[in-house]
Amino acid sequence: MVVSVSILFSAFFTHLSLGYRVMNPLSVLFSGITQLVEGGLGVEGYRVLRVLTAVVVGAALAFSGYLMQLSTKNPLADPYILGVSSGALFAVSLTLSLAGFVTHPLMIGVRFLTAFLGGLVAYLATLFVASRAGMTPTSLVLAGVAVGTFFYSASLLPQYFISRDIHKLIAWSMGSFVSPSASVLVLMVLMLSLTTCYVFFVRHPLNNLQVSDDFVRQLGRDPAKLRRYSTLLASLMTSLTVAWFGVIGFVGLAAPHISRRVLKSSDLVFVLPVSVVLGSLLLTVSDLLSKVLIVGVEIPVNVIASMIGAPVLALALVELRKYGS
Amino acid sequence: MVLEVSRLCVSYDNTQVLRGVSFTLGEGIAAVVGPNGAGKTTLLKAISGLINYEGSVKILNKDLSSLAAEERAKLVTYVPPIVDVMPDMSVGDLILSDPLIDRELLEQYVYLFELSTLLKRRLSRVSSGELSRALIVKGLSRNSRIIALDEPLSHIDMRFQLILLKHLRTLSKEGKTILIASNQLNPLLNYTDKIIALKKGETIFTGNTTDFIKTNTPEKIYDVKFETILKDKYIDLIPTP
Ligand SMILES: Nc1ncnc2c1ncn2[C@@H]1O[C@H](COP(=O)(O)OP(=O)(O)OP(=O)(O)O)[C@@H](O)[C@H]1O
Ligand SMILES: [Mg+2]
Repeated sequence: MVVSVSILFSAFFTHLSLGYRVMNPLSVLFSGITQLVEGGLGVEGYRVLRVLTAVVVGAALAFSGYLMQLSTKNPLADPYILGVSSGALFAVSLTLSLAGFVTHPLMIGVRFLTAFLGGLVAYLATLFVASRAGMTPTSLVLAGVAVGTFFYSASLLPQYFISRDIHKLIAWSMGSFVSPSASVLVLMVLMLSLTTCYVFFVRHPLNNLQVSDDFVRQLGRDPAKLRRYSTLLASLMTSLTVAWFGVIGFVGLAAPHISRRVLKSSDLVFVLPVSVVLGSLLLTVSDLLSKVLIVGVEIPVNVIASMIGAPVLALALVELRKYGS
Repeated sequence: MVLEVSRLCVSYDNTQVLRGVSFTLGEGIAAVVGPNGAGKTTLLKAISGLINYEGSVKILNKDLSSLAAEERAKLVTYVPPIVDVMPDMSVGDLILSDPLIDRELLEQYVYLFELSTLLKRRLSRVSSGELSRALIVKGLSRNSRIIALDEPLSHIDMRFQLILLKHLRTLSKEGKTILIASNQLNPLLNYTDKIIALKKGETIFTGNTTDFIKTNTPEKIYDVKFETILKDKYIDLIPTP
């Protein structure tokens, strides 16, 4: 925990200092915060906002991934793999191409709501297909891939019919933190706190969800409800990130997986906090790479994050095969 | 009486699985026997408050349904048969995931059931007997008044069967009420104070081991003829083809 937090801090400050110009991270932080509080957004404010977004989105995705893994009893689950992100992407893509990139405050709500609905529909579809296919870890993943691919492809369609804001649409859908927003950040922090409160409150039964529904019942909780609420919260958080920053895959899978591996445990009390920090770290580093790897060009953060995350999925799959499940 | 069950009925999707089961238990070991699908698991879950039922279940004269979850969990523990767990979990995580556990007792049980070298091992890599021992350790460590074990003998080897049964006997002498749902009549018969035999959701026999044999209940349960071997008061049932 201490190690991962300290690495996160160094990544955070490196992120602040590097960019088009190299700056002193501390002065960027202070003047950035002042700018954010006072309103006018300069380079410093932008950098602070962007790195904070990466941190919070990483945390939210890792948190969502972990909750989905618990509620499906499947270490391969993740909002992207189970199709939630693509479902949300499709819904928002449709809305945006119909309404355009309107900057009305109401649009925050609309984008979020459609993303949530899209994500939820996709998730239910995945669960439906998987339960018909025996609900093994691999059938769940394959069902997610089927549903996710469907929605991802469907989300590309509007781009061919509507040319308005097409570049913005494409840039958004590829997953990037190029245009962070303070109000979205606040919303995400609220959402993350709400989920944290809920999870803290039910941490023991939730921990037992990994073992057996009977243990959950013995602790006085309904396992079905617990699954429903944690899935709902995970979908909400994921949809919120997709609505603004597009699809960022594999963080939800990789962060909990790595932390379980490192801690050699799957006790929620240890694994969840470390996963959340690792998720933040993963996206902070990915976003850092995405802006400095090629000078003057922003690579979508999803490209980097997935290049780190996908091998972890491969590793997890091999392990699952090797040791049986 | 520690446990009083009367006219207990349970239905799943409109089919009645328990049809008016009644019995009382004091301190001691009770075996719940009966063919597959007779309702043993259902009975244990009902008296542990894990599923809905009709009729009445009283623990220490208090109605089970009136107890808060916390209170109920301290009074009765259900130990499930081996379950489908998250493959990434370790044995240590499994047994520590109960907030009501008595840590000191847990350490003793880890030693008794020889799990100390397995604590870091992931559940996808333990044998079914090892998993079963971990579940038993987890259940016993809660130190509740009533302990309901579902098929605890099915996966563990003969040595651990004896270790478990002997220990349960000690616990029952110390005042615990223990229910064991199992079809491993040997060696179970030699460790029970009472037998509850279920068939198709009804009690076809309640009483002690001697009467269980005398009334020819094993044959009624399984539709198989048995030869009874008695040696130094130790009973063995041998099925005859
Ligand atoms: N969740 C459920 N939904 C519907 N029917 C169920 C459910 N659980 C059990 N049953 C049915 O109820 C009956 C009793 O089941 P139960 O599990 O109590 O039997 P059992 O005596 O424990 O059997 P076994 O020896 O195989 O463990 C069986 O016919 C079973 O098919
Ligand atoms: Mg059973």
